[in-house]
Amino acid sequence: MRRGTLQYCVLALLADEERYGFNLVRALAETNGMVTSEGTIYPLLSRLRRDGLVESTWQESPSGPPRRYYRLTEAGRTSLKGFRLEWSRFRDAVDHFVERKARS
Amino acid sequence: MNSTADQLVGDYVKRLRRELAGLPRERRRELEQEISEHIAEGRVTLSAQNEAEIRTLLDHIGEPAEIAAEARERFGVQAKKSGWKEVGALVLLPIGGVILPVLGWFIGVALLWISDAWSTRDKLIGTLVVPGGLLLPLSLGVFGTGASGCSTVVGTECPPDSGGSVAWQIALLVVLFVVPLVTTVYLAQRRRPVAAAA
Repeated sequence: MRRGTLQYCVLALLADEERYGFNLVRALAETNGMVTSEGTIYPLLSRLRRDGLVESTWQESPSGPPRRYYRLTEAGRTSLKGFRLEWSRFRDAVDHFVERKARS
Repeated sequence: MNSTADQLVGDYVKRLRRELAGLPRERRRELEQEISEHIAEGRVTLSAQNEAEIRTLLDHIGEPAEIAAEARERFGVQAKKSGWKEVGALVLLPIGGVILPVLGWFIGVALLWISDAWSTRDKLIGTLVVPGGLLLPLSLGVFGTGASGCSTVVGTECPPDSGGSVAWQIALLVVLFVVPLVTTVYLAQRRRPVAAAA
């Protein structure tokens, strides 16, 4: 499940601002339990770009070589919106059973 | 100090390149470049300079094999260990020269070199240990001992020290037989995943 939802976490991180690879990967890795090997995010990013959900541009960096920045495309935004809806329904449904068990 | 760090990073990227070998060239290049950028960015941002800091950075990025497995899954590339090139090379290198004298071995070498499943180092080993495969020991076994096999033919005279030299010849033959087979087993185990044709 973690693997299937990871791509939406990436899309969500890119929803408000564009980020370069290192920064994006660090943001994901900082939240416990999301990513164990940071390098495995890159195949996902590559896949998302190929599917047209994100796009990348090169930008100069204040320190060091230029960076590749990722941002959401329109298709990416639509995909994220769809997932948010589906996820909140799914979460409520799971909570309905799991949380009730915990209360009783 | 800096050269140790560079060497660590170099080794890591080399291992990554090896693991990614089964992916389409474009994907492979992209991933290698992005992870190299990540390492470079990490070295600047985290000011990772000494060996321990570089090792920590690389540990966080993860094992190249793990990244490659993830990439294969994301791109829907199946790890396939034995295409026709690999099987052909493994069969023809040892016995190709025997089935189709000399030429068969060369076909085996050609298959070995066009396959993506082996590194250049392994390809050199496969080619040079031993050229001709089993052709050399077999032809030596048939013609060599036939010519000097005086003890088995009634009426021929053996030189006084032939016992020793025959023993040496047999030992050499055994070695020449075994070494190409060892090379074949080695190559079979060193195969790395190559992209499925589909």
